[in-house]
Amino acid sequence: MTRARKSAITLGLALAVAAAGPVGAVDHNNLDSGRPLKVEDAESIAFGEQALEVGLGLGLPRRRPLGLGLHAEYLNGLALNTHLSVGFEPRVGGRAGESDTRADFGDVSLGVFHNFNRETEKRPALAARADVVFPTGRHARGVGVRLRGIVSRHADQYGRLHLNADLFANPGAARGERQFVPGLTLGYSRPLGYPRHFDSTVVVEASVAGASARGAGPTATLGIGYRRQVTPRSVLDVGLQSDVAGGGPRDRLRLIFGYSTAF
Amino acid sequence: MRALLCLGLLLVGAAATGVAAGPPAGGYPAWLENDRADKRFYRRGAYNFAVYGLKPLARDLNGVAVGHALAYEDLVTGKAAGLETRTYARIRAILANPPALMPDEAALSPTFGRRYGVLEQVFDWTHVLHAQTMDVLLSRKLSQAEKDREMVRLWEFYQRAPYAVTGLPLSMAYLDAQPYSGAFRRKYPKVNGLFWGYHWLQGTMYDAFYRVPPAEHAAGYALVGRRYHDVELHRTDRPFMPMAAETSPRFAQRFPEIANAFDNLHMLHDLVNDILATETFTEARRQEEIRRAIWLVSAAAHRGEQPVDAAEPASADPWHDHRHFAGMPGMGMMTGMTRDLMWMPEMGWMHMGDCHHCTMPLWEGKDAWRNPTVSAEGWSMRVRCALCARDMAAETKGSAILRLPTEDPDQLLIVYSDEQGNLRSSSPGALFLEEEASHAGCEHWSRAFTGRPAFDAFVAANPAFKTARPLTFTEWAERAGEKPDTYTKPVGPSANPYAGAEGRR
Repeated sequence: MTRARKSAITLGLALAVAAAGPVGAVDHNNLDSGRPLKVEDAESIAFGEQALEVGLGLGLPRRRPLGLGLHAEYLNGLALNTHLSVGFEPRVGGRAGESDTRADFGDVSLGVFHNFNRETEKRPALAARADVVFPTGRHARGVGVRLRGIVSRHADQYGRLHLNADLFANPGAARGERQFVPGLTLGYSRPLGYPRHFDSTVVVEASVAGASARGAGPTATLGIGYRRQVTPRSVLDVGLQSDVAGGGPRDRLRLIFGYSTAF
Repeated sequence: MRALLCLGLLLVGAAATGVAAGPPAGGYPAWLENDRADKRFYRRGAYNFAVYGLKPLARDLNGVAVGHALAYEDLVTGKAAGLETRTYARIRAILANPPALMPDEAALSPTFGRRYGVLEQVFDWTHVLHAQTMDVLLSRKLSQAEKDREMVRLWEFYQRAPYAVTGLPLSMAYLDAQPYSGAFRRKYPKVNGLFWGYHWLQGTMYDAFYRVPPAEHAAGYALVGRRYHDVELHRTDRPFMPMAAETSPRFAQRFPEIANAFDNLHMLHDLVNDILATETFTEARRQEEIRRAIWLVSAAAHRGEQPVDAAEPASADPWHDHRHFAGMPGMGMMTGMTRDLMWMPEMGWMHMGDCHHCTMPLWEGKDAWRNPTVSAEGWSMRVRCALCARDMAAETKGSAILRLPTEDPDQLLIVYSDEQGNLRSSSPGALFLEEEASHAGCEHWSRAFTGRPAFDAFVAANPAFKTARPLTFTEWAERAGEKPDTYTKPVGPSANPYAGAEGRR
């Protein structure tokens, strides 16, 4: 496998697994990307809020050994309805589409998230985010830009739908790799336990993400996750994802454990 | 026909109450019609979430959040017909076993939030002030002086948001005389009783912990919490919502802006409840009335105005009547009452600047901390001396909490009275001076001290008491004073200012 291909795959994984960053105040019913699934809602963290979100992912790629990845992100609500994020993703062990199992610091991303409006009776909540991904990982090449549009609206009284449309652009992509990789994720979240318990949310998602390698087909992923408030300002999450179909590199299973805290 | 009749009555009511307040000349400010999330983080501090150190209170407050949200959500999702039955039962079950962590009210009432998003911003932001001020009072990390300073900073921080509620005293008489006022309490008395029960707790908790030593928090809340669950949540006989100064007069005296903001917030709840309960309103009318209700109590609408300590209002417009009761800057004027005389169902007429036991003037200004308080039967009253506190508690049914200042502003002596009137204190080393004479001087001859050195120092500085013997707590608790020679029962302008209020509507 060429370095360029590995670089593209690394970036592709960033799109598929980490895809953007957390959002929303640290509360079980606010959905943050990567915590534990890809899908996120259209709410930014509060003005003046800071948050740290950490997730440990255990991946079981096809025909590869077990891999372990960390996804950590710091968020800063620097303005009303807007926050900045800094994220990094070190990992070790096997990963889909790569033979290298050595420890890798991974890429560093710097992002901005903006919520345009809250959900009203007339229109859904809308948000957009942009992340610049720096190729600090072992095989990464070229600075990439990840764009995401987010729509959140109620599906029933307590359930919400979230549509995330992604585009990853890497002008420095190697020959044989796509410079633009699209993705689409649809998620549904619903609090559990009403009207007796008020501390848990379940989330499910279905997503399709393009492969970074030219000629490879998109990968379809299903996921289910659970978020639980453990203190007034921290949430534990657990999630399970599987790349169920597609022509690109696939994980049979990914198990994710995460923790988020606001301060 | 019925709708037309109701509309006519509303218009007549509006004219009778002088309801002129509405959008300013250039229209409402942008924040009042925004569709942004505009969430703000709370002020950082080591005290945040200190309420979880007193779990029964934390859980009760979490239950209050659920209770508010479930009622609002049911009101706007076609379940209003079951509010007094199914919703009430559901809320009561939660209040009996409240959540351990504060739920997100917006998630509990998503339909309400989508429809009245700005209102939710106002509620949320002022609820944050509620939570943080309580955390400060319950903090074990801050000294009393630091708590007082942080309370001021929290108020300043709160006011930075455009949707802050004003800290000025507002005329409750005016706000509760809107064309739709009273609709909710008439239609849903039990759920309204819950709302006013929540607001009783949110008022009472301030004096329960203000300047009270942390070691006393659990014992104090055991009594307050019991009263909340056993009595206050069930009451449907209140003529008006509980006011901060009726339940926490020491706190309201010291931080009048915060007390007023809470009263104004709770009145906003009442206004909104009444608007939602008025069936003749179209949804568009409800939206407009709720927008106007927010504007009525907003800080933005009263920018540059000042509280008024005078018999006559500075403004002819009752919306801008910022008079407060004499001796109580933390309470706006109430229906049928005068600046000098306030009325409570349990107590009758009273002067808020006088001792409720001996009618002599209370300590004021920088000495206001010297006023003891008695909390019993759901009210809290300031009195002038330790004897007044003890005897007032003895004259009251049920258990009571006495908060007696000592020579040290930071050392409040807490005394509990049980149902039989037996007194106990967790500071058995306290000593008392009680050389009973005319109550014209009771603030001198009836005092509590932290111990012998403080007692001796006071006697040395006041030779009139050089022969006085210090009383132990047990000796003092067994005493009963004479009926105060200075006591006079105030006579108000009517027997009950709320009598006929329903008829007037």
